[in-house]
This record gives sequence, C-alpha cells and structure tokens, in this order.
Amino acid sequence: MAFWRPGRNPNDEIEAEILSHLNMAVQDRVERGEAPQQADRSSRREFGNVGLVKETTRDVWGLRWLEDLGHDLRFGWRTLRRSPGFAITAILTLALGIGPNTAIFTVINAVLLRPLPYAGPQRIAKVGLRNEDPVPSDVNVPQFVYLREHGGNVFEDVAGYSGAGTLQLKQRDGSDWLKALAVTDEFFPALGVNAILGREISSDETRPGSPLAVVLSDGIWRRAFGGDPGVIGKQITLNTDAYTVVGVLPPDFDFIEQPSDIFIPLHPGHSIGDTGTNTRVIARLKPGLSLKQARAQLSGLYEQLPNKNVAPLGLSVMSYQQALAGDLRPSLLILFGAVAVLLLIACANVASLILTRANGRARETAIRLAIGAGRGRLLRQSLAESFLIALMGAAGGLLAAAWALHGLAAAIPWDLSGRASSVRIDLRVLFFTLGTAIFTSLIFGLGSFWQTARTSVIVTLKEGRPGAQGPSHGRIRNVLAIAEVALSLSLLIGAALLGETLHNLYRENLGFDPQNVIRMTTPYPVNNPSNARIWSFEQQVLARVQGIPGVLSAAAVTVSPLAGQSNLPTQVAGNDDAQHSYGGTEIRAISSQYFGTLRTPVLEGRPILEGDTAGAPLVAVINQRLAHRWWPGKSPLGEHIVIGEFLGRQLFKEPQPPREVVGVVADVKGLVLGSPAPPMVYVPAAQAGLQMNDSTDWVIRTAPNAEVAPAIREVIAQMDPGQRITALEPLSNVIHNAVSGQTFDAALLGLFAAVALALASIGIYAVLSLHVAQRTHEIGIRMALGAEPRQVLRLVVRQGLVLALAGVVIGSAAALGLTRFLSGLLYGVQATSFEAYAGGAAVLIFVALLASYIPARRAVRVDPLVALRHE
Amino acid sequence: MSTAKDRYQNRIELLQGTLDLLILQTLVWGPRHGYGISQMIRANSAEILQVDTGSLYPALHRLEKQRWIASEWKVSDNNQRAKFYRLTASGRKQLASERSRWAQLSEAIAGILHPGKQETEA
Repeated sequence: MAFWRPGRNPNDEIEAEILSHLNMAVQDRVERGEAPQQADRSSRREFGNVGLVKETTRDVWGLRWLEDLGHDLRFGWRTLRRSPGFAITAILTLALGIGPNTAIFTVINAVLLRPLPYAGPQRIAKVGLRNEDPVPSDVNVPQFVYLREHGGNVFEDVAGYSGAGTLQLKQRDGSDWLKALAVTDEFFPALGVNAILGREISSDETRPGSPLAVVLSDGIWRRAFGGDPGVIGKQITLNTDAYTVVGVLPPDFDFIEQPSDIFIPLHPGHSIGDTGTNTRVIARLKPGLSLKQARAQLSGLYEQLPNKNVAPLGLSVMSYQQALAGDLRPSLLILFGAVAVLLLIACANVASLILTRANGRARETAIRLAIGAGRGRLLRQSLAESFLIALMGAAGGLLAAAWALHGLAAAIPWDLSGRASSVRIDLRVLFFTLGTAIFTSLIFGLGSFWQTARTSVIVTLKEGRPGAQGPSHGRIRNVLAIAEVALSLSLLIGAALLGETLHNLYRENLGFDPQNVIRMTTPYPVNNPSNARIWSFEQQVLARVQGIPGVLSAAAVTVSPLAGQSNLPTQVAGNDDAQHSYGGTEIRAISSQYFGTLRTPVLEGRPILEGDTAGAPLVAVINQRLAHRWWPGKSPLGEHIVIGEFLGRQLFKEPQPPREVVGVVADVKGLVLGSPAPPMVYVPAAQAGLQMNDSTDWVIRTAPNAEVAPAIREVIAQMDPGQRITALEPLSNVIHNAVSGQTFDAALLGLFAAVALALASIGIYAVLSLHVAQRTHEIGIRMALGAEPRQVLRLVVRQGLVLALAGVVIGSAAALGLTRFLSGLLYGVQATSFEAYAGGAAVLIFVALLASYIPARRAVRVDPLVALRHE
Repeated sequence: MSTAKDRYQNRIELLQGTLDLLILQTLVWGPRHGYGISQMIRANSAEILQVDTGSLYPALHRLEKQRWIASEWKVSDNNQRAKFYRLTASGRKQLASERSRWAQLSEAIAGILHPGKQETEA
C-alpha cells in the first residue's frame, strides 16, 4: 500500500483527479456546442457532490480514522478550553499520579533495567559466600584461589578485587590522591574491557614479589598525565612505591561498584589480611550457562572450600546487576507498587470528575445523539478528550519528575556509586510515561463510556434538566470514592509500618551515647606503618585534642561504632572446640578514654587503662555478647583469649599470644542497627599487635554546642600538614546513615500516602458536594418541614462516613494482602500491626469527616425558599 | 446529451461488484482516465449504464489498492493533465475470474427468469 509516496498528498491528488474529470466533461460539452458557463454547471450537477466523492474515495485508503482522530482531538481541545477549571483540576490530579510513577521508574530503569555498560552484561555474575544477606558476600584469599582453580566448568574468568584505599601520587607540582582498586588479571576480561592504550594487568603481575604495575582510568590519565600516550612504561610513585604504568582504560569505562582512578594488581597470598573475608569476586559465566545451572554446579564445590572460618551457609551466585542493586531493589519495587496505587487513585478521581461533568453535559450529549451522532463517534470523542487530559497530565508529571529527579537520586541512601548520573529520563522512561498516559486515559475513559452508553435521548431531553440520571452515576461515583479511600488506606498503612520501623530502630539500645560526640577519621600516613608509629601519633593527637577548650574527652579506635567492620577469628585460649571459637569476632584497638568518651557502661572488671602499655601484660575487654557466648553464667574475668586463632589453628605466621580478659562492657551495635551487636573484643591500642586497618577513627566528646571542629583540624595540621582528615562529623550522623534506607522508604511512602490522602479527600468532597447540589430541593423541603440544621448536617456527614467506612473495610483487607511484601523491610513490627491499621483508618476517617463537613455546611445554609424555587 | 430527467428514467443500478468488472474490462483496451472510463461504459452500454462518480472513484482507488490496476499522471489527447489507470498482470487474472463469475451468475439468473418447459407445465 504505497499510497504515502513522498511528495504525494492523497487529498490533493484526489482533488486533482476530480478536477481533471470535471475539466474534461466541460470540454466535451463545449465541443458539443454548450455555452462554457452552462457546460460547467451541468458538468458539476452531473458529477454530484464533489466533497462526498472525495471523502468516500479517500476512505478507501483507510485514512478516515486518522482524520477523525484529528477532528476528535481538536474537538476535545475545544471542549477542554471551554471548561478550564475541570481541565486544570484533571490535569493536575493526573500529574500528581504520573509524576511519582515516572520518577520511580526512572530510578528503576537506571538501577534494575538498563544493562550494565560492560560486554555481555548478563553473563557477569557476583560470586561469594551465602549468608542471611541475599547478595553473595566476600571471600578470603584461599577461598578465591580455590574458586578460581575449580570454577573452570562454570566460569570463564573468576576475578578477585578489593578496595586499595587512596594512594598518593607524588608529582613535581604537588600530589594527587587516587582511588585505587586492587584486581586480579581476570578482572578486565570478566568485565569484557580492554585497555585503549597499552594492556591490562597480567597474571605475572599478581604474583607476590613481581614489579608493581598500574592501569589508569581515562579520567586520571587526562587529569594527571595530560592524556599523554607516552605514559605507558613510565614509572610513577604511589605512596612510597614505584609503579609502572602498563595501560589506559577506555573513556566510557566506569567501575560502577566502586569508581576508581587506578587499578593495581591484587597479590593473593601476600599479606596478613589473606584470611580476612575481604576479597570480592565477580566471574563471567560460560556461554549458554544459566545462573541456576551455575548455582547447582557450584554447590558441589562448597564441601572442599578452604578456610571456612565464619561458617557460611554455602556458596552463592547472583547476576552482577542484581547484586549491585542490592538493598535498593526491594525498596524500589515497593515504592513502584505504591506509586501505581497512587496513580489508580488519581485515575479514580479524574473519572469521578468526568462523570460529574458528564452529568452537566447530559443534555448536550442527548442533543448530539438526537441529531444523528453515532454513539461510537461520541465515545471516541470522549476518549480523545480523556487522552488529551492524560497526555497533558503526563507532560506535567514528566516535568515534575525531571525537576524532582536530581533530589531523588541524591536522596537515595544506597550506594549508587557510578550510577547516580544514569538516573535520567531516557527514551524508555518517555515510553513508560506515554504508556501510563494511555493506560490512565483508558481507565478513566471508561467513565465517558458509561455516560455515552447510558444517555437516554428521550428521557434526558424530556426532563430537560441536568442530573436527570443521578442515581446510576451517583453509584459509580460512590464506588470510585470508596476505591480511593481503600487504596489510600493501604498506602497509609504501609507508611505507618515503615514509620514504626524507623521509630524502633532509633529506639534501639546503641550501647553508647552519640550526643555531643564528634567522629573523625584520619588515614594512616603510610602503608602498613608499625603499631608503635601509629600509637605514638595517636597519643600526640589525643594529648593536643584534649587540650582544646570545649573538649571533654577523646579517644582513638580502629573503627568507631556503626562505621564499619574489622573482624578476626578468635578463640578461648586452649579451648579448641567449635563453641569456643568465633570467626567474625570484631576487634577494636582503643585508647584508654574510649568507654568513658562514648559512655559505654563497664559491666564487670575494668576498662582499658593508660597503664596497659606495650610492655605491660596483654589484656582485653570483651562485650557482653561474647561473655555470654563463651562463659555463660560465669565471670570471664581472668580467662584468656587468642585473637587470630580458630579451632586451634593459628592463622598468622607469628603465633599470637593469649590475652587476659580484664573487663566486660555493654554491647555496642555493629554495622547494622537492626541486628544484635556482634561479639567484640577491645584491646589497648598500645598492645594492638595485628595490623588490619588503614586509618584511625577518633571519638571526641564536647561540651554541648561547643564548636571544636576548626580547632581539631588545626591540631591535625600542626602535627603533619600532609595528614588528611576523611571524616569529621557528629557521631549521630552515623546513626542517621545507618537508618537512611528505612528513612528514605518511610519518607517517600509517607509522601505518597499524603498525596493519596489528599486525592481521596478531594474525591469524597466532590461526591458529597454534587450530592448536596442534587438534593438541594429535597433538603429545602426537609428544612421547610422543620428539620434542624444539625439533622441536615448529619445527613450529609453520615454519607461521607459511610463511604469512608466502606473504604476502610475494603482497604484493610487489601492492605493485609499487600503489606506482606513490606515485611522484609520492617523491624520490630509485624506487617499486620494493629496499631498501624487502626492509626491509618483513624486518619482516613478523620480526613473523610473534614471533607464531608464543607458540603454539609453548604447543605445547612440552604434557604428553603430558594431551594424550592430552584426547580 | 441527456437531460437530468431521462437520465434517471433510463438508469439501471449496477449490481454490487459489477462495476469492478466493467472497469477492468474497459481497461483491457488500454490505459484510461476516470472520465474516459465512465464515458466508455456509458457509450458501450448504449447510454443505459450510468456510472455514478461517487461509486467510480472509490472503485478505482479500491482496485488500485488491490494492485489490480496502476495509475500514472499523463497528458490526455486534448492536452489535459489526467490520472490514467492501466490493468496490471494480477488485474488481468482478476478480470478473468470475475468474467467467469459473471457468466455463472447471469446463467443462473437466466435460468430463473426463463424456466424450462417441464417446470412451466407442471
């Protein structure tokens, strides 16, 4: 059907054809002797209705619908312009419904849908130990080596990598701090990335003792080396070590999980940290192998997996994309469900609006039917109008989403790392929004359908007054209002449950008092410094910080509460059974003021004291959890433990000495607020022994409202101008950060619930207003017969209440089904919590009463005389 | 030349589908424009068959859409630009099948209008 040839307009062509027909007819007649004018007239008469011929001929090509659609849209536009109040309300309502959908979908698109920017992204898998967390967790080096050697029939490339902190690049004109990632040679093949200059890391370079190599990211190559291709083969100094630049990565490469400036070889089996579970693993699946098959094959390897110190549940494989989404995935899906509910409410509201207006337009519709408009055409016209409304609502929603997106992406508390910039509106998002608009216009277009189908020409024209078909429309509007109440209730309950979760988390016993405490982090000045050097630095800083006016006390610690993990297998000295070893024992090297500064209660024995120096007997203070685990019902004081020993096995080359337990302190939360505190051992920083960290944390208690941060910075700068401070913030921030995920969910769901509530109350208000308007006559009679204003008030409010109650019953039932999906995000509250349901219902009923009150007041003010004349 | 009055008197409504047949048949003698086709049908039927333009042009376009005829703008004998239609190969096939259908139909109708002796006697 090549009718649409370029340069050919079907309308013009048909017209030209008809014109040539007429011309020839006229010419024939003139040749036969007719006067030209007469010939023209007769020819036209003979031809018939030119417009009709044109139209029926064009219809052959099936363009009629297109033209009609244009007509319908123009007609819809005109009707909308005639009732701007209606149009604006409907469009704003829809924008409120569509905007959040677009915004959440944009995030989902960026995080869950858009494929990772690596070659064959669906074949990249994250591999690790399985524990409670769905995402595979890190392994230790022997486990990685084992997986690499034995995973050959599942994976093509098994890559290990691990954060390497920030390294100082010394250059002539100052220095630059580079974020480094240590990777094995399989890393780049697993991601399918090739160096654009030079080469990637080679397997030789991951052997201990080999010359140090470094691969540069495009960004750092341009920033620090001016994009010089001659940089390949050059030596650069990172911290104190000389590295050879071997390659530069392509500009579009970005390691999303942990954006890095440089990549250096990971040396498995080279350091004391090998037994720590801190090697992350990704692997490229063999072609044609599914994740399920990989999982099945891998489970056979678990039995032989070495160094299972932390007793995992097994091995785990997950698509890398899903692993990167991590905790964000369930939250996003819940929020997506919530905005879908919000959209339905908006649809119900607009449908109700359309019905209300249809009531007013019943006469117009009837007249148009009477003079021969097809019901189908009328329906199409109202659908076109609906579509126009939806389209403009979608445009509004899109604008709102675009405006809110930046804030939303920034507010996402999970680590979006390299993907924050990918949270943007792309074609897929546009299609999604357009689809939403079409979907919504169909939903509330059903309202129009009802109206057209129901309009009875005779009844409407005879009765001659709007609202003649009140009862049936009234029923639909009631159903819509009830649906709105029910849907908002489920959102409200969800928000209440998340709010309660947040409240519970904040109420958790932290084991320390974060008020008026500042937390600071300073990286070690060099790689692997000696303990003595760190401790001497720490002592000097502490002495000076404690001299700052406003500082009450200060202490150094390897990792401050809720800021991270640092664990080593530990056991009771001389007791090698499984009950007396614990793989994930958190170890903290602290200075003497630590417990006092954090106000962590010492429950038994003594804290770490200044006298616990390097030369003094080795001591440890343990937390309550560990005391109960190893010495239930007994005092652990005087017992001995060995850090770095597990089931009688020494994990380090130098045997670790036993330490005497001299005190028990209250449990301090580990990394997660909602989990019980992990078993923890505190040792004096002066006796730290094993070196596992690359930075010192500081906790500084100040007088209330004391501004000491500048003075602290000054102290550090005086000690060493090159010393960096990577964190300096109130300790309470750490707690906010720890619950940021729940805060985000609760805040957004609360926001959506509030919008839903507003829409639902508008819905109830609209229904009752119309109701009162339609019953003005009846109310007038009642009042003329002596009804009290209070009775009239009750009449209206009662109807609002009935709607709300019906909605509450249905909504509660729906919420029981829906909130199950929330249970994974809840803490300390059941998805069926009575308080949440009762609270949500109470709020809704209250709002419904408010919404009924205004129309009710209007009813009361009805003047019987006016009302009766109203007919 | 016929007046409006006798045109209606002499006019015979074309049976559904026969116009297509007539158009295809007319084009067997060579490409023609719409006006020419209508004139030819009228002339060849001794002025009895009047083709209504409201049927002719939709029919022409329908046939073109079916690719039984193809069109081209050309200049006519009397120096008018006009859209000429010509029969395509598949149009010729279609014409053959429509002709045989027409033959069957007229035979069947003739059978009903002029029944055999037996039936009349019975």
